[in-house]
Amino acid sequence: MMPSFLGMTSQVVVDVQYVMLLYFLGVNGWYLVLLISSLLEMNRHMLLIADESRHLLLSSTLSPTISILAPAFNEEATIEGSLRAVLALQYPSLEVIVISDGSKDHTVQVLIDKFDLVPVKTIYERRIATKPVRALYRSSTYPALVVIDKENGGKADALNVGLSFARGELVCAMDADTLIEGDGLQRMVRPFLHETDVVATGGTIRVVNGSEVKFGRIIKTHVPTNALAGIQVVEYLRGFLFGRLGWNRLGGNIIISGAFGLFRRESVLNAGGYLHDTVGEDMELVLRLKRLSYERSGPGKIAFVPDPVAWTEVPESLKVLGRQRDRWHRGLADVLWRHRGMLFNPRYGVTGLFVFPYYAFVELLAPLIEAAGLIALAFGLITGIVDWKFAALFYLTAYGLGTAMTSFTLILEDLSFHRYETFRDRGLLFWFALLENLGYRQMTVYWRLRGLWKFLRGHKDWGAQERKGFRPLAAPTAGA
Amino acid sequence: MINQSLLNIVMLIEIFLLVLAVLLFFTHGLWLVATQKRFLRDMTDARDSLARLLTRGTINVEEIERLRRVPRDAQVAAFLEASRNLAGTGKERLRFIAHEVSLLDRARKLCESRRWTRRLRGARVLARMDVADPIVEKLLGDPHPAVRAQAAEWAAAQPSPTVIAAMLTMLADPATQARFAVQDAMLRMGSTIAEPLAAFLETHSGLPAESGLRVAEALSETRFLPAGLRHSASDNGGVRTAAANLLGAIGSAASAERLLELLKDSDAPVRAAAAHGLGRMNHWQAGSQLANSLRDSTWRVRREAAFALRAIGAPGALFLRRALKGDDAFAADMAQQILDLPAAASG
Repeated sequence: MMPSFLGMTSQVVVDVQYVMLLYFLGVNGWYLVLLISSLLEMNRHMLLIADESRHLLLSSTLSPTISILAPAFNEEATIEGSLRAVLALQYPSLEVIVISDGSKDHTVQVLIDKFDLVPVKTIYERRIATKPVRALYRSSTYPALVVIDKENGGKADALNVGLSFARGELVCAMDADTLIEGDGLQRMVRPFLHETDVVATGGTIRVVNGSEVKFGRIIKTHVPTNALAGIQVVEYLRGFLFGRLGWNRLGGNIIISGAFGLFRRESVLNAGGYLHDTVGEDMELVLRLKRLSYERSGPGKIAFVPDPVAWTEVPESLKVLGRQRDRWHRGLADVLWRHRGMLFNPRYGVTGLFVFPYYAFVELLAPLIEAAGLIALAFGLITGIVDWKFAALFYLTAYGLGTAMTSFTLILEDLSFHRYETFRDRGLLFWFALLENLGYRQMTVYWRLRGLWKFLRGHKDWGAQERKGFRPLAAPTAGA
Repeated sequence: MINQSLLNIVMLIEIFLLVLAVLLFFTHGLWLVATQKRFLRDMTDARDSLARLLTRGTINVEEIERLRRVPRDAQVAAFLEASRNLAGTGKERLRFIAHEVSLLDRARKLCESRRWTRRLRGARVLARMDVADPIVEKLLGDPHPAVRAQAAEWAAAQPSPTVIAAMLTMLADPATQARFAVQDAMLRMGSTIAEPLAAFLETHSGLPAESGLRVAEALSETRFLPAGLRHSASDNGGVRTAAANLLGAIGSAASAERLLELLKDSDAPVRAAAAHGLGRMNHWQAGSQLANSLRDSTWRVRREAAFALRAIGAPGALFLRRALKGDDAFAADMAQQILDLPAAASG
């Protein structure tokens, strides 16, 4: 009895390993397809934007009005700087709406003092139910600025209030601590001017840690020396430049970052606005817009544009990063579960047959499969069921190929925008691409598994976020 | 279990990929440093040459020769940079220099290329230099929308009858990008386009008419009145809305009369545009009809009607106060919100 049980166990372990191997080969193969797709897309994009004269858009009376929605919760330390940077954005017809989501600190008072706010009344259509608005302010020095003070209801609720007040044909959802580059909106609005069926566009998010910031503008871009932040630089580059750009050509994106996305206001309102009871409200909205476009045979194109850039601060502590990743994965699980009817459903075209299954089986279940593979490998090595050669092959297939793909993303960045100019930065980027697989990736597996577990148990909290604030002028230092 | 040779192959492939990536990454970095240095040097040379050629009375042949020797990328960049800050005789001189260094000939050649990316590049150079050339005019009918849009941008500074005719045709362009560019170019042309556009609107309907009406609204000239009146009876809701906006912008007795009729249109956006237009015209005689629109089933129409009543002053305020006591809760609510607004608020 005993020998057959052992035999069965070892067979299972070996089988699991082979399945894992095939899985990783498949995933990395798909990444290769995405990489090639993003290379082609980037080439097309760079040809289109070379020598373009965006200043014409700046002086055009036909440019659509953009309302920037900036939800803020207890942001008294950073709100003034962030808002001044937003107000300085180069766009001809801009409205900036800051929504204080029941801040318990002095966020609203800081805004009143620094921007000469005066209470006003306005008329708006409540097409979406939201928490009550306490007060509305307009700035006497910045006519484009509107500040809404409302009762706390979460980020989605704040965005919905902003949507109701917004006058713009397009709304730009951003985080109050995100720095958008001066011409970011001019660049991001292009798809709306070029095609009628575009409902949302997303830009690239880059990591601000380590770079020099002055008056809400990036003065010098640097890769942080802090390993945790540095690895995230590589992760963000991979995620945006080859993940999302690649999908543009392969059937469209279903993710637009909540920190920097531009939406057609009417489409969002018709879809019911942001959903309250999810932590992945940005992805949920985009997927809902996509889904409704199929169901109602209306416009539903989601475009990723690589050149508009917004900078964000990433966590530099394991605790905060873990909470963020756990939340992101919970959000992903929640959104995919809500729209599970799209999976392999031909009614939803490429999204249902390709994009959705990719997110379900690669993005969502990857940590589960990776964890199973690692545990089985460790067990196999300890018990002698698998030998070191197999372990080496497993590691090379699972992580080595991934590192190669990441390295090619760095080349893609260098070929297109080359924001990181010094050889020190290049060296750091490459070092972090290698380092990512030695512990960091395994930790993200754990955090994402935790997120999945919490999702299964019905957790919907955001968790506290800690921000250090953008570094004003000093030279780059470790961990900054 | 695992063949040693398989492992070796996988390892070799990965090492090869990584080494290749490192080499490409750092070699490209070196190349970038070298080319950027060279480019900056070339740009400085090109700028200096251009500045000398533009500011001196006579054209120095040696200077032209020096500029000709500057690598093409820097040469083009320097010309495009200078073109942004020049107009009139300065630009004319810049064009002459560009012609002398064969920049314009190269751009023309690019415009004839079979590849759209090259045609786009050529059109961009000729557009920025304001070169009146039939080759760009031809590109108004290019198969690629980006090239057509670029040609439309060029056309803004070339208001010849044939160019204007081609641009009017482009109002029906299926590509939004080209349509936007042509509308924008027409607005930049200003009153030059008014007469042909008015004639175009007399004979066209549907999408081209809607696009044209938007341009006409921005120009707000009375000669568009017949077109506005004609299109306000269109079958297409979008066209009727655009016509109502135009009539509101023109503001005549005939416009007001038609807008009053449009307050009863079956499409809400048309009713809202009509109310907005009447407010824009301060047409106080429309008070009672606008007060009726406060009871409209669509929020936007009620809002526009309320703002229009506010815009026409005392008579409007009277109707708003009357609505407070009326039996329609929605109308009363909207009237209350408008009456509560501070004086400076525009809505």
